[in-house]
Amino acid sequence: MSRKSNVKFFYIGIAIAFLLAVLAPFLASSDPDGLESAAGGIVEESKMSQIEATEPVVSSPMPDYSIEGLGKGGEVAAIAVGTLAVLAISLGLGKVFSKKI
Amino acid sequence: MHIPDSFIPLSQAVIYWIIALPFIITSMKWAKNELDEMKVPILAALAAGIFAIQAMNIPIGMGTSGHMVGAALVAIVFGSPWAGVLVLTLVLIVQGFAFGDGGVTTMGANILNMGVISGFIGYYTYIALRKSVGTSIASFGGAWLGLFISAIACAIEMWIAGTFPLRAGLMAMGTYHLIIGFIGEGLITSIVITAIAKSRPDLLEDNFTARPEKNKKETHA
Repeated sequence: MSRKSNVKFFYIGIAIAFLLAVLAPFLASSDPDGLESAAGGIVEESKMSQIEATEPVVSSPMPDYSIEGLGKGGEVAAIAVGTLAVLAISLGLGKVFSKKI
Repeated sequence: MHIPDSFIPLSQAVIYWIIALPFIITSMKWAKNELDEMKVPILAALAAGIFAIQAMNIPIGMGTSGHMVGAALVAIVFGSPWAGVLVLTLVLIVQGFAFGDGGVTTMGANILNMGVISGFIGYYTYIALRKSVGTSIASFGGAWLGLFISAIACAIEMWIAGTFPLRAGLMAMGTYHLIIGFIGEGLITSIVITAIAKSRPDLLEDNFTARPEKNKKETHA
């Protein structure tokens, strides 16, 4: 198939990704995920509070896909920034590794 | 299913990193051998889409939610589970370092569960099923089983870590991810693969994806 149709696939994929970035802060469930939910149900209380008190080893600039003080707009921005970062890394990796054809 | 730092002691987290490393390196080798200018846009679009869809948690009842992982989807499109390992590694690095989603010490375990286990099981289940039940059902079954087995692996790791009791951990992780795998993984993977099969059937053909050794020799000769 032509290079053009792969570029079309690329733009459709990017459009879907950014649409998801905009919608996720409003539509995504805030319920705990399967692992957290399992932990909440079966880990004994003393151990759980110990786990909860433990800070992540590396502190992240946008914890929980949010930007402090920016509310839902910040969440949209955070997910969009992450999507862009993944995109840039994949394209960069592609540039380093890919063969010219 | 992103394991935070606090769920696995550092001594064990290091071991999962050591196990994950050869898989990560092989996925880079896959990229070096298989990626060309035609495939890079497809890989980048899938990686960006998977990062974004992982932010979309779907409620599954029982006060719990879950999201797609996507390794099986990438593996099916590229005809290689190594593509799934590569994309999930990239996504998990960004999630761990920029968003605190999944720990940095536990990233090895997360890459192993979501990139390697869900991708390999998802892909080879799809391959085993696709001739008999067709692309749509095979991609559903593969993606669903891949996610379920990776959740079981995660429960066992949590038991070894001393964080979860074995039986209750297996039951809880199994139950939640049975459902997450059905909706979040199986259904979405099947819809995307079916859409690709209709609009770009060439992408799922073996000549685009897996390059058999024979062809490789011919093109280089």
